[in-house]
Amino acid sequence: MHNPYEVIPATIYDVIQESPLIRTLRVKPERPIPFKTGQFIELTIPGIGEGPFTPSSSHYISEEMDITIMKTGFVTEYVHKAQPGDQVGLRGPYGTRYPLEKFAGKDLLILGGGCGLAPLRSLFLTLLHDVEKYNSITFFAGAKTPQDCIYKDAVTEWRKYKNVRFLRSVDVVPAGETWNEDVGLVTTLLKKLDIDPAHNPAVVCGPPIMMKFGTMDLLKYGYKDENIYLSMEKKMYCGFGQCRHCVMGGYYACKDGPVFTYAQIKNEEDIWE
Amino acid sequence: MVIKVEDFFSFLHKCLDKTFHNFDQVVLPAPSRNPLLKNYYFTPMTQTGTYNLDSYRTVDPLKVFFFQPREKMLPAGFPAIKRLIVGAKGCDLRALHVLDQAMINKDFVDPGYSHWRHSTTIIATDCSEIAPTCHCTLTGGKPFAEAGFDLNLSRLGEQYRVTVGSDKGQELLDLMAKNFSMQPAKEGIKSAIEKKRSEIIRLLHEQNRAFERGDDYTRLQSSGKENWNRESLTCVGCGACTHICPTCYCLILNDETKAQQFVKVRSMDSCQLHGYARVAGGGSPRPKMFQRFRNRYLCKFLFMHSNFGELGCTGCGRCTETCTAGIDFRQVVRNISETVAVVS
Repeated sequence: MHNPYEVIPATIYDVIQESPLIRTLRVKPERPIPFKTGQFIELTIPGIGEGPFTPSSSHYISEEMDITIMKTGFVTEYVHKAQPGDQVGLRGPYGTRYPLEKFAGKDLLILGGGCGLAPLRSLFLTLLHDVEKYNSITFFAGAKTPQDCIYKDAVTEWRKYKNVRFLRSVDVVPAGETWNEDVGLVTTLLKKLDIDPAHNPAVVCGPPIMMKFGTMDLLKYGYKDENIYLSMEKKMYCGFGQCRHCVMGGYYACKDGPVFTYAQIKNEEDIWE
Repeated sequence: MVIKVEDFFSFLHKCLDKTFHNFDQVVLPAPSRNPLLKNYYFTPMTQTGTYNLDSYRTVDPLKVFFFQPREKMLPAGFPAIKRLIVGAKGCDLRALHVLDQAMINKDFVDPGYSHWRHSTTIIATDCSEIAPTCHCTLTGGKPFAEAGFDLNLSRLGEQYRVTVGSDKGQELLDLMAKNFSMQPAKEGIKSAIEKKRSEIIRLLHEQNRAFERGDDYTRLQSSGKENWNRESLTCVGCGACTHICPTCYCLILNDETKAQQFVKVRSMDSCQLHGYARVAGGGSPRPKMFQRFRNRYLCKFLFMHSNFGELGCTGCGRCTETCTAGIDFRQVVRNISETVAVVS
């Protein structure tokens, strides 16, 4: 009988320090873990604990996986001590995916902030695999300060695509740091939107406060409830709807999400907490 | 079929003998050793112990035999123990039906729960008394088991009427009949048992008259924050109510090892605890006590109902019995319901 609690051992083969608080673990699981972009996995540090994280690599690669993680609690403290060669464990994938078929032929907006760029990078890299399928991809990425920006090295590469528009903004530029892109909350980039909000999809991921105001702003600009895709992050302990920590009203963030449309969850209580 | 109470206990004693049946353990309710407490606890049977199968539900819910407070799930390796549980009550079997749906379904099979469920035989018994907190009739239950047992016993004087609920139960009954004198139940016995059952139901109605609230539980959701705040004022958030609840199954997984290996230990968790849904970084959907308190009621009456088509409260009253703050679950449901007018 299949044990749902089973862990697939994986070896860290590279660690990329993206920013002072965010790093990407590049891992090679003992056997491939096929996932769909938007789904998440549970990452175990042996003897310490586990937590839900969304892969940040393309879903066309299942032999290896990138997982971008911010240092913010007990388990992630240990994630940030991990070294290449260390073993971690993976369970999953769990949850719902981004509905790529609904983005085909559309002008897709991706709005993300902070470590919320992790699942969005996975989505973006997956879209780039057959980028001609999409009319255009607008990616608005936010960070607190220039040094908090992640995936720095890839940005130049991403901007080379004809139908990709990649804009970044930082909340503040501290003295001593240089920045020649936008300054302000990521939602201020929406002013530069040059696509039709009423008939196109938008994907939002970021810290809860950014998700909330990002969604509110998208609605103001004319996006429709059912076209706004949110990656809800709750305390997804088990990943398969058993532990009940991630309950959002009638939904489990782990099983019915993490990808929800705003239309699905707008009437549930405390979704942004 | 009917068997003498004395013979039934002799049968149980024989069940302790591996040459008679392959049970490794017989578990049944024993009275508290404190004579001031009229409480019963599931206890492994010995040749000399005293037991009471017929009073009301035990202090510990039946779920602990299947959904253990703490059990290693990975690497999985569950002891091959065949268990016979005697004296399960209707409320606990209804609860087990909820847990069965939660733990063994098309998307998920919990290896521990499923192991214990398959290696356990259950003999239910009618309640012949009620505890001060018993209120199964308020949640659509009865003080006797209607389903979920292998065998059921209804006591009448010094005899048990035995009814069969499964093939496993039939085999056990056949073994019983082969070794002890049993007679078919006469009409008189059947009607006497019905009468006894009705009498217990009457006692439950009488005891819970002040707590009647109808079955429109959506009122719990629409009632305002101030009402929940008032009801939860004395709650200390210890989580005892959820741990002792026969249908609560929230779990946490811990990696309990110092070695470089993957070990997952599943433990009970409680939505009443402050850190329950808190995520790294400090965010929590229910940071206040009244929110967590309310969540439990909504879960029992609305969330479980929408997931399983059954109420998550079977009216066993254990949460009220165990509450250090003396909060009466029935009273809260009634009070909150009264704050909202029924829309007809």
